[in-house]
Amino acid sequence: MTAGLSTPLIEPVIRHEAWWWAAEDGPAPTVPGFVLSSFNPLVAAVAERCLTEHYAKPPQPPSDRERTGIVLATRAGDRVSAEHVRQTVEAGGRLGPLLFFQSVPNSILGYLAARWGLAGPIVCISAAADPVAEGVAEAGVLMADGDADEVLLIVAEQVAGDPQLDCAHALLLGWPAESLASSRFALFSKEMA
Amino acid sequence: MPDPVRVGIAGLAVTSALGRGRQAQLAAVLGGACAFTPISRFDTTGRRVTVAATLPDVASLPVELAVAIADACTDAGLGRPQRASTPLLLAVHGGPEIPRLATGLAEAAGLYQVLRIYTAACVSGSSAVSAAASLISRGELDRAVVAGGYLVEPDQYALFDAGKALAADGVARPFSRDRRGLLLGDAVVAVVLEAEHRSADRGHQPLARLAGWGRSGDAHHPCQPAPDGRGLARAIEAALLRGGVEADQLGYINANATGTAFSDAAEAAALALALGDAAGRVPVSSTKSVHGHALEASGLLELVITVLSLAEGKLGVNAGYLGPDPDCPLDLVLDGPRQLAAPYALSLNSAFGGANTALLLAAA
Repeated sequence: MTAGLSTPLIEPVIRHEAWWWAAEDGPAPTVPGFVLSSFNPLVAAVAERCLTEHYAKPPQPPSDRERTGIVLATRAGDRVSAEHVRQTVEAGGRLGPLLFFQSVPNSILGYLAARWGLAGPIVCISAAADPVAEGVAEAGVLMADGDADEVLLIVAEQVAGDPQLDCAHALLLGWPAESLASSRFALFSKEMA
Repeated sequence: MPDPVRVGIAGLAVTSALGRGRQAQLAAVLGGACAFTPISRFDTTGRRVTVAATLPDVASLPVELAVAIADACTDAGLGRPQRASTPLLLAVHGGPEIPRLATGLAEAAGLYQVLRIYTAACVSGSSAVSAAASLISRGELDRAVVAGGYLVEPDQYALFDAGKALAADGVARPFSRDRRGLLLGDAVVAVVLEAEHRSADRGHQPLARLAGWGRSGDAHHPCQPAPDGRGLARAIEAALLRGGVEADQLGYINANATGTAFSDAAEAAALALALGDAAGRVPVSSTKSVHGHALEASGLLELVITVLSLAEGKLGVNAGYLGPDPDCPLDLVLDGPRQLAAPYALSLNSAFGGANTALLLAAA
C-alpha cells in the first residue's frame, strides 16, 4: 500500500472560489471583537466574498448548510497577534481579554459559521508545503467520511509583517455531482435504511 | 463500497502532570489524585490564578514529542520497515516554526512523512485521530502515528488568565455547582492507529478498537458553545452510528467538561439530545478535573485515559465536585473508581469556534 496517501479517492470539485489581495483590495474590513491583527479580518473577508458570490446572502436557508464544514489552512497563522502576546508577556505587561479568544484560529471560523449557518466540522491545519493542496485533502477526508457534504476551505497568510501583502484564497468545495450519491460514507445510507 | 476496515489502537505513549507512562495516569484518575500545584515553571506575577498541572523535570515540547513518538512506535511493535511506511499526524499550537518541527519529528522517528498538522485548538488531537481513522477505515492507510503536545507556558497561560477562563479558586470542578473555570495541564501523547487486520498479520494485539468518530460545528458563536448542545450532539450521533452502537451499550463517557459554567451545561444538554434517557444512566467523568486542560493535546490524553479505563474495567473520578448542578443531570463518577458495566466508551472534545468531536472506543 502507498504510504501517506494525501488525497482522497474522489477529488472534491471547486464550486466557487475567491481571493483577497490587500495590495489590490485594500485592508480587510474590521470584524467586531477581533483586534490588533489583520489575520482574522483577512480570513473573514475572503470567506464572505466567496460565500456571497456563491450564495448571495446568509443564511439561505440555514438548514441547507448543516453539513458544510470549514477548513483553514495557513503556513504561519496569525503572526501579529502571536508576536504581540510574546512581547507583552515577556515585558510583564497585561493582555487585553479579546486576545484570549483570537489566540486560536477556530474563533474566526466560529464567527463565519454562526453568520452563515455552517454547522459542519471546524478544522484548522498548519500547512507544511502547499496550503491549498493540504486543505483540499483535509476537506476530502471530512467529506468522504460523511461528516460534511461541502467544505469552505480558506487559505490565509500575513507576509513579512506587512499588511499590504496580506493574501487569502477561499474555495467552496463539493463532490462532483455524479459521485454525490456514492461518495458518502455508508453511515448515512445506513441511517436511512 | 467495501466494508470499512476496523481500526485499532496498536500502541501509545503518554506523559502528563500525573506522571510518565500508563500506570501513572490510571492510578491518578482512578484515585482522583489531582495534579494541580502552584506554578514554578515561569513567573506568574500579576496573574489572577497561579495554579496548573505541570510535570516537574519536563524537557522541551519537541524533545518530549520525539520521545513519545518513538515510545508509541515501540509499544506498537513497529520495526524500521513499518515505520518507514507510516505517516505522522501532529496536534500542536500553530506558528511559523511548526511545519519544520513536524518534519523533524517524522524524520527522527523514521516515519514516512508528515501527513497533516492540526492547530484547531482543543479539538486538534481528536481531529487528527478522526482523520487517521477515516483514512485507515477506507483502506487508504495501513496505520498512522498521531501525536500531540502542550506544556503549560507563559503566553497561553497569560491569555487564559486575561480571558478570565481559569478557575479563581484553583480547583477544576466539571459539572459541579459553583464551578469557576478550567485549569491548564501538561500532556504529550502519541498513539499508533492501525488496521486491525494488519495488527493481526504481525501478531500484535491492539489495546482497544476505535469503533467510531464524528465531528461537527455549532454555527453559534466565535467562542461559546451552543447552549442546547446541538452541535456536539451531532458529533456523538455520528460516532455511535459509525460504530453501530446504541446509547445503552455505552459504559463510560470521558466528557470534555472543563469546569466552565456554560460549557459544561451545554455538554450535558448535548448528551441528553444525543442519548435520550440513557444520558442520565451512563457513567460520566471529566478527567480534566485531575490532569487539567491540555489544549491541543487534550483529545489525545483523554483518548488514552479512556483506553486505559476500558482495559482496566474501571472508571476515573470526576474530581473537585461540590454538589449537583440542575443543568447537569448526569451519573457522575464521584467517590472512587467505578466498575465498567458496558463495553463502549466515548471521549468528547469541544473547542472555540463551536468545533466538536466524539471518539467511540471499544475494549480490545
